[in-house]
Amino acid sequence: MTTHASLAQLLAESSIVLDATATDVDDAVRQAGAALVATGAVDPEYVDAMLERERTVSTYVGEGVAVPHGTLAAKGAVRRNALVLLRLADGLDWNGNDVRIVIGLAAVGRGHIGLLSRLAGILLDPDRAAALRTATDTAEVYRALSADAPTP
Amino acid sequence: MPEREVTVASSVGLHARPASLFSQAAAGTGVTVTLTSAAGRSVNAASILGVLSLGIGHGETVKLEASGDGADAAIETLAKVLETDLDKE
Repeated sequence: MTTHASLAQLLAESSIVLDATATDVDDAVRQAGAALVATGAVDPEYVDAMLERERTVSTYVGEGVAVPHGTLAAKGAVRRNALVLLRLADGLDWNGNDVRIVIGLAAVGRGHIGLLSRLAGILLDPDRAAALRTATDTAEVYRALSADAPTP
Repeated sequence: MPEREVTVASSVGLHARPASLFSQAAAGTGVTVTLTSAAGRSVNAASILGVLSLGIGHGETVKLEASGDGADAAIETLAKVLETDLDKE
């Protein structure tokens, strides 16, 4: 069941970019979108929906993390649940917030609720959020995400 | 302590956009409001991560609680946000 796959399972190693740089929010969202397209999780039009969503409301969630994703109207462009992760070592001004980690999301149907809930559960732990921000290799990223235990 | 039960109207639940708008509204009230899911977990309504972590779906009944000055008005404001389908705008 894809909806019960762990977050780490949804993030392909080839979808982790640890030394990403972005000129602005649009650029970062485009890069996250391109990574989702490259992994085969979404069709290219999903990227436009991600940009549209970001312009409507920032997907910054706190802890230096933004979670760009498409609008409901772009659900048809989603082939399977997936995550991609860009680490911006130099940070990026995300509408006034300093963003270090960009996690692009794609989810079939209502899968986004569970995905965001589990991701938020991880980021609510300041130690795990810090581990993700400072990860220097993919093993550290997976370690931070695989501590994906359901919150009590 | 004022409290109110509200049914979430957003068609896709309280995910990123509705959760973000809800948390911003909660922060804007200047009152500490607690949001409790149907499963009984509580978070600060002004914390986007907290709200997201509850994984609240469409049609779920949640509880808003606050105390002190402005508690009633804050709950009223936030209940309206939850009762609006934020995905339709």
